[in-house]
Amino acid sequence: MAATPTPTPVDIFESGDAALRVVASSPDSEANWSTVHSLAEWLEAAGADGVHGSVPTYDSLLVEFDPGVTSARQVRAFVLLGLRQLDFVGAPARKPREFSVPVVYGGEYGPDLERVAEHEQLSVQEIIELHTAKSYVIRCLGAPAGSPMMDGPDFPLPVPRLKDPRLSVPAGAVAVAGRQAVIAPAVAPGGWCVIGQTPLTVLDAASEPLVPYVPGDLLRFHQIRPEEFANYAGRKLEAAR
Amino acid sequence: MTGSLIIQQPGNSVVTDLGRFRGPRFGLPVNGALDQFSARAANILTANADNAPLLEITALDFRMRATSDILIAVTGAPLTLTVGGRECPQWEPVSVRAGETVAVRRITGGLRAYLAVHGSVEAPTLLGSCAPDTVIGFGLRLSEGTELRTSQSVAPIRQPYYDLPLFRLGLTRPEFSSQAVVDVTDGPDVDEFGDTAELLFNTEYTVSARSNHIGLRLGGALPERQSTAEVLSRGVPVGAIEVPSREELLVLHRGRGVTAGYPVLAVVTSRSLDVLAQARPGHTITFRKTTVPDATAKYRAALRELENLRSTVATVFSLLGIGNQPGWSKLAPAAGT
Repeated sequence: MAATPTPTPVDIFESGDAALRVVASSPDSEANWSTVHSLAEWLEAAGADGVHGSVPTYDSLLVEFDPGVTSARQVRAFVLLGLRQLDFVGAPARKPREFSVPVVYGGEYGPDLERVAEHEQLSVQEIIELHTAKSYVIRCLGAPAGSPMMDGPDFPLPVPRLKDPRLSVPAGAVAVAGRQAVIAPAVAPGGWCVIGQTPLTVLDAASEPLVPYVPGDLLRFHQIRPEEFANYAGRKLEAAR
Repeated sequence: MTGSLIIQQPGNSVVTDLGRFRGPRFGLPVNGALDQFSARAANILTANADNAPLLEITALDFRMRATSDILIAVTGAPLTLTVGGRECPQWEPVSVRAGETVAVRRITGGLRAYLAVHGSVEAPTLLGSCAPDTVIGFGLRLSEGTELRTSQSVAPIRQPYYDLPLFRLGLTRPEFSSQAVVDVTDGPDVDEFGDTAELLFNTEYTVSARSNHIGLRLGGALPERQSTAEVLSRGVPVGAIEVPSREELLVLHRGRGVTAGYPVLAVVTSRSLDVLAQARPGHTITFRKTTVPDATAKYRAALRELENLRSTVATVFSLLGIGNQPGWSKLAPAAGT
């Protein structure tokens, strides 16, 4: 990737005595995303004393540190140094990997599929077609447990969250909310609309890293029949060759 | 010499450490001991590394038996500690003989106690930490009959007269109160709450029973967000104060999900997170505004106190011959002499 001709403007906010929030504030959301993720990688590689790490999402980055070793002031200076460095050399280029995810849609696997179809004034089949129509960029790892947060399918309307969040959503649940899409790596409470479930194991607590994808990787869903679900039992989500 | 601890009455206890600091970048909360000062102090009192695995005992009574002679320390909320039936002091090293039962009872005034063992205990790790993660189901929760391996044995040290407490290392214990004062700094989104942000400092909040290691829920007058614009998911710090519903204030603690879409009104200081870790349902909380430099200074003052304790412990333990290094008199003679 070429060096960015115009640096993305950022704002840095205090977030308590052990964290800073860095927000990229250009009108170009793609540039903002790229800036905060490049900065996260730079901070990780540079490894300053007392900096635990950072959590990049869409336009922002939370940098966490140990206030016994360093301070908000020092970390702010370190972040600014990283941004200048990135303006100079450009964001590191990395070839995205692709993940293919089999999904059983509807029924007990996707209890909210019909509700979503009704809200969008589309048929269930049209919802499935839109959801499987394109590859999604994994924008960031979210809660719970390294969920791949993606920009959602091209539905006509944003999908409202459930009024009463479920106390427990199974691992592998494929869900949508607002303009976003996600897979749940672990059992957790959730207020997103579950439209299907993948039989693949996404989170492997015995391996490092725990989830196989990183922000920037691509993910694509394809439909399988309920009878096929068991055939995938125990298989892990892996990048396609 | 190795030995083990046999859990007889687990109550609500886990093996933990100071946290999974590499977790957040992989979407995992930091977790770890909620009262970090007490956890560090317990490890320092037993001459362990600050981050060594130790037991976190929450609210309920706990009992275990040691199969070898060990040295322990119990810190955290006020409680009754007995070893082999004898009452022993908290916040000091305590010698336990093989076969004796260690009981922690009547945790009062606070919620969490920490029990460290010299040489620590063995526990599985994930990303370099043994801290339990309830969301992904990782960690060592203790149950009746759980056997924890210990790596170091310490010959019994007992005051020969009347079993008086042996150590008086003199660490200033934190205060535990049912009416806690919690320091916060302005959150990055404080402006979104307009004038209602001031309510945070003029209200006495009550800790709800729905509070846990993920977050405390507090009842009381709630600041109100003035805009309704959608917020993109962002990383949120431990200590973030949010107003997700019209019912309660949410204060995130170490088990918090690392991203959320709610504006952050204020952030609890590192030092005051320890105070919140000890708040019981029904206790009241009032918030006090501070600045990041003042919060950092207070945090470092607490670390200095712990450093002083560490050097006192090192001196006393080397005189008593406790520790990993043999004394000079036990070293083998140099070759050729």
